[in-house]
Amino acid sequence: MRKIKVALENIVDEIKDFYDYKLWHFLTINGVALEDNKLEVQWIFSKYEALDDVMVYYVECDYKDLIPSVVEIIPSAIISQREIIDMFGVKVEGSEKGLYLDEDSLQAPLSGCSI
Amino acid sequence: MKKTINIPLGSQHISLLEPVRFKFECENEKIVGVDSDVGFVHRGVEKACTTRFKYDAVGYVVARVCGLCAITHSLSYTVAIEQLLDVEVSKKAKYLRVLLLELDRIHSHMLCLSHTCESAGFEAMFMRIMGDRELIMEIQELLTGNRIQFDYISIGGVNRDISLETAKKIVNSLDIVKQKVLGYIDEFTNNWSLSLKFKGIGALTLDEAYRFNAIGPLARASGLHIDVRNEIEYLPYKELGFKMQTHTDGDINARNIIRLNEILNSLEMCNNILAGVPEGEIVVKSKGKPSGESLVRFEAPRGELMYFVKGNATAMLDRVRIKTPTFSSIPAFSHIFMGENYADAPAILASFDPCLSCTAK
Amino acid sequence: MFTSLFKALTNLFKKPQTIDYPVTPIEKDKDYRGLIEYGEESCIYCMKCEKACPPGAILFVKTDTPSENEKNKKGLKYNYNPYLCIYCGECVRACPKPEEALWQSNKKPEVAVRGDNVNSDWFELEKLHKS
Repeated sequence: MRKIKVALENIVDEIKDFYDYKLWHFLTINGVALEDNKLEVQWIFSKYEALDDVMVYYVECDYKDLIPSVVEIIPSAIISQREIIDMFGVKVEGSEKGLYLDEDSLQAPLSGCSI
Repeated sequence: MKKTINIPLGSQHISLLEPVRFKFECENEKIVGVDSDVGFVHRGVEKACTTRFKYDAVGYVVARVCGLCAITHSLSYTVAIEQLLDVEVSKKAKYLRVLLLELDRIHSHMLCLSHTCESAGFEAMFMRIMGDRELIMEIQELLTGNRIQFDYISIGGVNRDISLETAKKIVNSLDIVKQKVLGYIDEFTNNWSLSLKFKGIGALTLDEAYRFNAIGPLARASGLHIDVRNEIEYLPYKELGFKMQTHTDGDINARNIIRLNEILNSLEMCNNILAGVPEGEIVVKSKGKPSGESLVRFEAPRGELMYFVKGNATAMLDRVRIKTPTFSSIPAFSHIFMGENYADAPAILASFDPCLSCTAK
Repeated sequence: MFTSLFKALTNLFKKPQTIDYPVTPIEKDKDYRGLIEYGEESCIYCMKCEKACPPGAILFVKTDTPSENEKNKKGLKYNYNPYLCIYCGECVRACPKPEEALWQSNKKPEVAVRGDNVNSDWFELEKLHKS
């Protein structure tokens, strides 16, 4: 697993340069709650037909920050974006919430600040 | 005037096994728009893993995410923890893990094939395949003590040893299953009424499979060479005779053929394992608490399963991320429905082999 | 057509693949994972099974009438909830004296009805255990 840290405003450009849809398989977007109300968002890719080659781009941001959308580069990222909105209560450009959670359930269960 | 009408499929529908809702926008019989809702069975497993259970019990929790690929879930989690604890598993334990993983794939694929037949209106075939699937279920019960929730894998190895007697029984049953599967291949390729329902319907081209990041049998039916068994070093798949199965048509028929061929390949691998189970301990003791991050991928029957585990050197984990196969296939599913007849939708959906309790976790 | 007719006729006289369940009992393999059984005389009250159990189906709770086992210094009683148990066998693997103090049988639990108060009794025990 190779991890590359990117600034939040550069992430779309980085992924655009890196992502070749015939070489890299997009796995998912993952969020990890860090200390001090910070959030780590990861974009995870794996290489087709290569042994254990996983690439992770990640940013560290606040819960208030607007996370840019990568749907124009990777169409299938839309469902992962909706998931992190539900799970962490963040805002993602152009995506709406309500994939798993209902209106009356516990909101943003995995974010560090809701506990 | 509006030219389209909306017809829902689900959340409860006669052809669905699990709750999912598709809203189809139809123009006459053709589907022109798809919207999906998958979150009916959200149980908060990821949250429970990090707040209610200690790391050594989480393996049993994640096995309950899904009944059909329970073994892949517990294996992925366990391997992630083993990487964090630096535990080296014996070769015998690895072989037994692959054995169960492949048996699980066989019975899951048989279930999917039977449901595809049922959705196409071929009830007799459904009964036949489900009846033969019992042979595999009995093998699993012999090996692990339970039909579905195996609880076979523990941190450091496996829970039960295999005796010579059981191995012999398993080889006999596998031979019977092989004959049956060869019979299905004949039926699926030559039956005229099945071909009307399956050939050329619900097709996904290779380029679309790349674009929508399709995985599992769905992608392999379109000719995309993606199989995590080919991409990991951890389990000894190469020496057990793993062969990637691909097809070029991308329709329902191609998916069925891929599944049948994979069953044959898995049967061969199981036989190879049973012919040469190495000597050694089945469990290695582990020490310490997990700390650091690890990311593990395995091939579940429906495609790639990913676990991301982050530990902080205490008994409670920081984060357990489960990326299930059906979850990442949903964009591809929605795309395939476009332009198909509404009447074919149940058969197409069954051919995806969706697992919604995995997806919503 | 003749083959299908022949097949249909033979199928008529074949035995069914299913078994007549309540009348004919299902034979369980001897290694089937069933109820956890407990031998009080051999127990050393180390409580390892309680700690190992993933769902918390084993509880040692203080009682007024403790057993005469001399290892039982704190006056505890073993409680087991077969309806919470997931039959994984983790407790048996944790036990220092398996087969004597704690072992896994191949029996199924009895079906509980509402009158048995399975849940409410167990919640009482859990409260006692916490205090």
